[in-house]
Amino acid sequence: MATTKTSTTSVLTTYATGPGSHGWWAIMLLIMIESTVFAGLIASYFYFFSNATVWPPDGIKPPDLLIPTIYSIILWASVIPAYVADRSLANGNLGGLKLWRAVATAMLIVFLIMKGYEYSHLDYLWDDTVYGSMVWMIAGFHSSHVVVVLLKTLSTQTLAWKGFFNAKRRSAVQATTLYWLFVVAAWIPLYATVYLFPNFA
Amino acid sequence: MAAPSKEETLLQGRDREESLSKEEILYRTWDRRPGLIGWLSQVNHKAIAIRYIVTAFTFFGFAGIAALLMRTQLIQSNLSFLSPETYNELFTTHGTTMMFLFAIPVMEAVGMYVVPLMIGCRDMAFPRLNAFGYWVFLIAGGTVWVALITGNGPDAAWFNYVPLSSEEYSPGIGIDVWTTAITFMEIATLVAAVEMIATILKLRAPGMSLNRMPLFVWAMLVTSFMIIFAMPTVMLASVMLALDRMVGTHFFNPAAGGDPLLWQHLFWVFGHPEVYIILIPALGMISTIVATFARRSNAAYTLVTVSLVAIGFLSFGLWVHHMFTTGLPWLSLSLFAAASMMIAIPSGVQVFSWISTLWGTRPSLETPMLFILGFFFIFVIGGITGVMVAAIPFDEQVHDTYFVVAHFHYVLIGGGVFPLVAALFYWFPKVTGRMMHEGIGKFSFWLALIGFNVLFFPMHISGFLGMPRQVYTYQDGLGWDTPNLISTVGAYMYGLSWLIVLVNAVWSIFRGKQAPPNPWGAGTLEWAVPSPPPPYNFETMPVVQRQFPLWPTDENGPADPNLEHSKISDDIFDPQLDQRETTGTRILDARLERKFFLAGPSIFPLLLALSVGILFIGAIFSLWFVPIGAVLSLICILGWLWPRNKEEWR
Repeated sequence: MATTKTSTTSVLTTYATGPGSHGWWAIMLLIMIESTVFAGLIASYFYFFSNATVWPPDGIKPPDLLIPTIYSIILWASVIPAYVADRSLANGNLGGLKLWRAVATAMLIVFLIMKGYEYSHLDYLWDDTVYGSMVWMIAGFHSSHVVVVLLKTLSTQTLAWKGFFNAKRRSAVQATTLYWLFVVAAWIPLYATVYLFPNFA
Repeated sequence: MAAPSKEETLLQGRDREESLSKEEILYRTWDRRPGLIGWLSQVNHKAIAIRYIVTAFTFFGFAGIAALLMRTQLIQSNLSFLSPETYNELFTTHGTTMMFLFAIPVMEAVGMYVVPLMIGCRDMAFPRLNAFGYWVFLIAGGTVWVALITGNGPDAAWFNYVPLSSEEYSPGIGIDVWTTAITFMEIATLVAAVEMIATILKLRAPGMSLNRMPLFVWAMLVTSFMIIFAMPTVMLASVMLALDRMVGTHFFNPAAGGDPLLWQHLFWVFGHPEVYIILIPALGMISTIVATFARRSNAAYTLVTVSLVAIGFLSFGLWVHHMFTTGLPWLSLSLFAAASMMIAIPSGVQVFSWISTLWGTRPSLETPMLFILGFFFIFVIGGITGVMVAAIPFDEQVHDTYFVVAHFHYVLIGGGVFPLVAALFYWFPKVTGRMMHEGIGKFSFWLALIGFNVLFFPMHISGFLGMPRQVYTYQDGLGWDTPNLISTVGAYMYGLSWLIVLVNAVWSIFRGKQAPPNPWGAGTLEWAVPSPPPPYNFETMPVVQRQFPLWPTDENGPADPNLEHSKISDDIFDPQLDQRETTGTRILDARLERKFFLAGPSIFPLLLALSVGILFIGAIFSLWFVPIGAVLSLICILGWLWPRNKEEWR
């Protein structure tokens, strides 16, 4: 992206963030697309529940709540440093961007490790019953989205360390933050469906 | 003397460039790179759109040949021209190709070519993303046809119902080809939709507020939003089926708590909006052509726009009408039947708008207008049979018979293909700089109209007489012989009409009459640029003051075919001719707010398409290709997005 030549009459900016930026629209539309998939997953889960006489079926115990709730809270909390990092960059504070993004990234990694631990100790797999299929599908789908957020953040962090971003040129960081918020927010209904529902309904 | 400052050097460079004309500099900035690498890294929306159209029509031709083969098999009872297995693969690939590989891509592609010109910008918002979508389309479609030709085609119908398509009843890779290629293909469709929305919302010319936007652009906007919400559902369904087949999940296995009906729900939640995704761009094309030939702006513009949006929303509430015979509760079936009839209302608003626009005018009946009249005739019949099948008791008699085949071909070909051909004849002069041959065009229209009706009308009758769909042959003495014979004759007539259209198009590219910039006297912005347009579309960015910028205002103002009075001032836009730039405006009132810099040629769209292709197509053979393809894709995405231009680092 080049800067325009200095001209006293030109009123047009070239950098933008938020709805003025077409990149913002691209991320919002991607979020809409993926929300539809998550909605379809939740609908399918309840569809199978409505067909079943006992849920979870086949002697499977409802999911354990301790570890999942801990890592869910960590995931939801990671939004705070991610958002603070984004705001720091908007105010021109590059050090804040790097620091808080690193904190948020660490929280994502903890989430993934704990999730991996939970699923390696689950006593049913995806081929066990439709319940196993849905639980593993939802976990796999959502966790791969968390991995994507991780990859996006690592790429933008690398660019940040090389001095690419500033208060005006930051739409890539904003895109990562928006997607982060989406992946974290999507976990609220998914967590409620997979973990709270079979335990309390 | 001190060394010249950076600014002085830049200014000197600019002085040198003053000796090149503005046009030459723009060409240099916007043209593609030469040679094979240049062709592979091309990102211009017009070039990509033409590739899409040529490829889509190639698939259309293949699927049409499949149809001719099927009709030949059915010309008489008890023929064995085709084996049942081959027949199953043919009708599956015919349907899958027509719906996924022809109808949607070609409608998107016409939008891809025309919309940026109609809204007054220089390219779409993400040029490399467009190119990526095309390569994905080519690879996905090629995979399906290579599979068919090697005898591995999918064979469980285009809607691929379980349990027929499960591993148990369809071992082999045919269905895996369907699940992976379709999911892969939908990436291209989604990408084109995202592209279209971002372009229409942010890249319109200053002054083209939403209520001055051409109806075709509205149609493409509504269609793109529908794609955003419909496509992911079929991708979810096919991923679930792929998992059932490949790793043993139980989504559709009733013995383990799964349900085959879920496939039908997920598929038709996509499938019903899909047919409106095909129809709505066509409605936009018709509004455009009707306005031009009536030489009048569209009647009830606001109502038509609201109706387009209403059709978009309502179409998501109809899907169970494909499932009336599945034993769902009566209350839900009744609600869907009512909604299916209700959607006739906004569709009717469109038809009344066109009638009103044409009323009292004397439209010249050139080929585009003839195909529009053909659309009216055929689509209205299809709409009537649609309301008939929306009635549950009626549908219970004709479900899975040839009556339904007749109905959907009337609405899809009448409602989609006839307007598409009209659009082809209409915009051909803009794309190629030449007119299509008018006499041959008129002949091909009459042959198409008659051939189509001879082909599909008898299917209503054989459907009433009980002939089921998707059967490779039938017994004699059931009364089905005569309708089938007539249909097959009609198939050859209709196929011939397409051959003539193809010959006309190819001949006209080389020998057609030279076309002026605006042969039809139309009023929208695409007719203000030369035919064919230069790669940068507009030499000076236009400013729009009314709905049909090239037509005179009501107050007898001058027509403005060259946009003499409607150009953006250099002071405000401050053009940097050596950068790919276009105007960025606000969504509602299109007030100028910024400049967008658009990406230039890149080889990464092709590389990424190949990587994602390895992920999906490889999965048919081994799941190891999924992580391999993912890693390759990650590398390509980084290569695509990594800022390389030194200026970007300042």
